[in-house]
Amino acid sequence: MILPLGFALGAGVLVGVSRSLNGRLSLATSPLAASLWNHVVGFAFLSAVAGIFGGLMPNGWPDAPLTAWAGGTVGVLFVASGSWLVARIGATMTAMLVIAGQMVSGVALDLALGHGEGLWIKAAGVALILSGMWLAQRRR
Amino acid sequence: MPNRLFPFALAFASGGLLSLMILFNGQWAANGTALFASWMAHGTGSLAALVFLAGLSLTGKGPRPAPVAKAPRWAYLGGLSGAVTVMLSSTAVNSALALSGTLALGLVGQAGFSLLSDRFGWFGLPRRRIRAADLGALALILAGSGLIIFSERLAP
Repeated sequence: MILPLGFALGAGVLVGVSRSLNGRLSLATSPLAASLWNHVVGFAFLSAVAGIFGGLMPNGWPDAPLTAWAGGTVGVLFVASGSWLVARIGATMTAMLVIAGQMVSGVALDLALGHGEGLWIKAAGVALILSGMWLAQRRR
Repeated sequence: MPNRLFPFALAFASGGLLSLMILFNGQWAANGTALFASWMAHGTGSLAALVFLAGLSLTGKGPRPAPVAKAPRWAYLGGLSGAVTVMLSSTAVNSALALSGTLALGLVGQAGFSLLSDRFGWFGLPRRRIRAADLGALALILAGSGLIIFSERLAP
């Protein structure tokens, strides 16, 4: 149980590390160039991993919906915006506002896709997040 | 110069992009593996970033001369860190933590790292003083996120 705990915590830490590295790179280039490097380096690394361990191309991958092809492009914009933000408003502010946006849009997506379970609890969560955002932007 | 609230709005919107990205990339994983999904996302993303940069330079809006001297070599490793994230989280999701536990611990890891990173100016970014209001805001946002993540388990 300790190992998965460490993995889950470590994954969160690495999200922050990645954003800071790309932010530092964007200061010397541009947020979009930092996002390009992020994707190229990640692609090279994952290709190497796949080359060593094999089993990259699953059967049935062409059956994925067309929107799957848009994920990479959305990711480019996500990384570019994170790189711009972390260098300007700091790691903590960027992380908390991105988390806020992710959670609130996640609830909206759940509703749109018809997952209505625990709606009141989700609504309370959204209310807490919005009050946190209000507190964060005060006296700035 | 963007207005005071612009970065706030952008960061919030960027979280929305993250939700969409996870939804779309997950569609590859549903038909394959987490490794394949991440590989496809990085490959198609590389092409998309090249197209965006080419478009910007054609319209003459390419990157202006950078304000800061050359980046150190380690600054190019953000993609490595991102790729390892996928491996760690897809392993954790398949443990007793499940998706909700993995997400919640991930937020805790991210928040802890960000606080330390701002406090000590890690990775060549400016040091920042952390105000009590920022800690309060972070606590509210994490508590709200926890309620949302565990809502289906908490629901009667």
